[in-house]
Amino acid sequence: MDAIKDAVKSYILKEFLPGEDPNELTDSTPLVTGGILDSLATLKLVSFLEEQYGIAVHAHEADVEHLDTVQDIAALVRSKM
Amino acid sequence: MLPAVSQAATRCLHNAIGADDLMFAVKFREVALPSREDRIGIVAFGFILAQLCLLLIALRQFQIESAALLRLAILAFAGFAVHAFLPLRYRLRFFTLLSLGGILLVFGLAQGAWMIGLGLILIAICHLPIAFAARVMVLIAVAALLAAQRANWLPAPWSQAVWPILGSMFMFRLIAYLYDLKHEKPAFSPWQVGSYFFLLPNVCFPLFPVVDFKAFRRNYYDADAYTTYQTGVGWMARGVLHLILYRVVYYHLTVPVTEVKGGLDLAQFIVANFLLYLRVSGQFHFIIGMLCLFGFRLPETHHLYYLASSFTDFWRRINIYWKEFMQKVFYYPAFFRLKRWGATPALIVSTIFVFVATWLLHAYQWFWLRGSFLLTLPDTSFWGILAVLVVLNALWEIRHGRERRLKKAAPTVGSLSWVGVRTAGTFAVIAVLWSVWTADSLSAWWGLMSAASGPVALSARLTPTVLVAVLAVATTPLAIGNARLPWGRFAPPYRSTVVTVASLMFMAVIGLEGVYTHLGTTVANFILSLRSGQLNRVDQATMDRGYYEDLVRVDRFNSQLWEIYMNRPVGWLHGQGAALDRFTNDFLGTKLVPSTAFTNEYGTMHTNRWGMRDRDYELAPPPGTHRVALLGASTVMGWGVSDEDTFENLVETRLNKERAGQRWSRYEILNFSVPGYSPLQQLWLLGRVLEFRPQAVFYVGNKSESFSAAQYLVQVVRKKVPLPWPYLGDLVRRAQIDARTDESVAMRRLMPLREELIDWIYKGLVEGARARGAVPVFVYLPWAGEDPALGEAIEVKRRAAAAGFVVVDLVGAFGAEDPKMLRLAVWDTHPNARGHALLAQKLYAELQAHENEIYRAPTARAASGK
Repeated sequence: MDAIKDAVKSYILKEFLPGEDPNELTDSTPLVTGGILDSLATLKLVSFLEEQYGIAVHAHEADVEHLDTVQDIAALVRSKM
Repeated sequence: MLPAVSQAATRCLHNAIGADDLMFAVKFREVALPSREDRIGIVAFGFILAQLCLLLIALRQFQIESAALLRLAILAFAGFAVHAFLPLRYRLRFFTLLSLGGILLVFGLAQGAWMIGLGLILIAICHLPIAFAARVMVLIAVAALLAAQRANWLPAPWSQAVWPILGSMFMFRLIAYLYDLKHEKPAFSPWQVGSYFFLLPNVCFPLFPVVDFKAFRRNYYDADAYTTYQTGVGWMARGVLHLILYRVVYYHLTVPVTEVKGGLDLAQFIVANFLLYLRVSGQFHFIIGMLCLFGFRLPETHHLYYLASSFTDFWRRINIYWKEFMQKVFYYPAFFRLKRWGATPALIVSTIFVFVATWLLHAYQWFWLRGSFLLTLPDTSFWGILAVLVVLNALWEIRHGRERRLKKAAPTVGSLSWVGVRTAGTFAVIAVLWSVWTADSLSAWWGLMSAASGPVALSARLTPTVLVAVLAVATTPLAIGNARLPWGRFAPPYRSTVVTVASLMFMAVIGLEGVYTHLGTTVANFILSLRSGQLNRVDQATMDRGYYEDLVRVDRFNSQLWEIYMNRPVGWLHGQGAALDRFTNDFLGTKLVPSTAFTNEYGTMHTNRWGMRDRDYELAPPPGTHRVALLGASTVMGWGVSDEDTFENLVETRLNKERAGQRWSRYEILNFSVPGYSPLQQLWLLGRVLEFRPQAVFYVGNKSESFSAAQYLVQVVRKKVPLPWPYLGDLVRRAQIDARTDESVAMRRLMPLREELIDWIYKGLVEGARARGAVPVFVYLPWAGEDPALGEAIEVKRRAAAAGFVVVDLVGAFGAEDPKMLRLAVWDTHPNARGHALLAQKLYAELQAHENEIYRAPTARAASGK
């Protein structure tokens, strides 16, 4: 579980928040509702998750409920592995 | 003992105010710390309620939207007062029942029952025990049946007024609901579903944010109650502020298309046109704010959209709920299906798909709200161009990224200035695109843009540059604040609670007559102008035209005129039986059909053998008869009232009852009025009218005389109707218009000459009447509710007097009576029977006052009837 969160955090920091303090990105930082993940970023993230973990994310799962926080993302990945 | 008593007292106080903690923090909002997330303390409740009272005052003082909204707000706020203290498990039921009650309150028992019944049927279909695909097919079939009824192809036993709200409740939310039904494990309670579809504010707002069902459930009391309620109050206050600002733009900044003469007018037109969207954002903020009062912590609907710094940014900020709906139901499913093509092609195709769907769904929305489809070239162009801009912007963002921050960054002058310039540029481009969307046609839009050419070309070239520079400077400070705030959907209460309270107090107080009348004449008149929801002069003129044209394109969703037309029944007063008028192949265009009877819900209109809507007359007046020939348009003809109720008939009857046998043995008023006739048609008709040998010709005019004359001239030129007078041909040549000239362009070119035209018409009427021994009389006919000191009215009467008319002024005929009670309907400002009775009284009195000028002693010829 921690490995998934760490990987997701690293990806988000590298792709969308370059130069930001990694400590500011917590497990509960709102990503979708906080404007970090817009539609383009969400699709990139989904693509990463699918490639990284060999899972299939459906269109209806690319929403606030499943992707708003690192915790939510990790839970989604876990549920598909 | 003392500590025990103190503890007991503390517990009592604790129980009284419902707070676990008696610590009253320094910050104002912390006075309201609740004990549980869904509960609110009594002090906090009182604070919220006080703000809601201020809101009600502001709604009332400024007559925001409609009287129905004020009633609904009272119901909602009173409902909140009960709802806030109910146990959580009862609140959703209470809200649902309150929403249903709101429908019955606004629509009445019968129509409300129809609406609720139809809605329940649609919901029930979603849960039929058949395959999902089959349920969708059944829904489509039922929707097709309803559509046939909406289009008036099939009868419907409910009122036309039901359609816009029923459509608004279900046309998009059913789609969102079905999507969740398909993808979720449905454990929805009937109360959740009922409250979702019959949302309380929807009964007053046909334009409604597409609330997502998942968000609706997820955000229900998911944060502390006070924050949710205060956020709601803040958004309602912001909504009311937007609606007041909208009125500033609507009444004081909009420029009629025909009056755009140069670059500055064009810039004002474009910017004001875009700013009219404040009405939609105002309504949406108010709606979501009201829902927050009942625990639905929904995100904001618009986020500083005028400060968008790119096209994708604009798409993300304006009508966020629509963007989220399209993203969820169309964009993501399309992208996920197409991603095997590669990310970039999938993005391009999916984005274009979303805009095509948006274009079609807008037409679909228009259909349910207006009863007809709206698929025009300006619409297509707007969505097409916006799609291209968003796609290009998105591709640029993929390549170059977009700035995102977790914390507020210290801005630099350079970065902020660049944001300011981008914001101004985005605003300018979107505003121009918006003008395309709201144009009657692409040629009309192009004609409008070309108004910036000509003798003021230099200012036209400079104006956009100056405008962008001004916006860049003005928006830089705002961009500072914008850049610092993390863009979030759950924005804190409108800046702060203090600002919300201050703005509510300001709006409530400034609208009081006892306050603004002490602020000087200019400020007082300005505030007074914002205190009503009347049409501005542009829309009023458009509605006047609307009787004679099928204005399907009437305005966009944010227009008050559009809302009036939305409620207008299809075939309003079209009636039964033979048609009342027919086309003629001459300059008149139309005339009434002789010897016909036309019946509608207001009675029967008969025409005599001469084609007048009047009793029958001989061609020559009987001996000793004073005959008046009455020239006018629809009001004078008596549109919407029965034969006995027209003011002409009432005056004629009274003259014969009270005055016959004095100077004249008998009085006749021959009504030659025809709906839609302009001053030019009246002049053309004069020759025919004078064959009836009247002693006086009464020409009835209103404040729009010169506009109406110019408009008709443009119409006949474009239809290539031969012009019967050389003067008109000369005027048309000087205005440089011909049959190929776009209507709005032609009107713009003719505007500077319209006063010359009306002077010429009046002179023609006066000289024509006098040449046949008739007294020319100009009767000024005001609209109910018209400002007695209206400049245009005074000018019309002055020109009539200068031309030689005896001027009879009917201003004041309606007294202090409520104008709304004197009209046929909200969408039809023709006077009803009561209006005609008042006009008759006033006209009779004025005729008495002008007796010596009008009712001269009969000549020997008149006395003999030869």
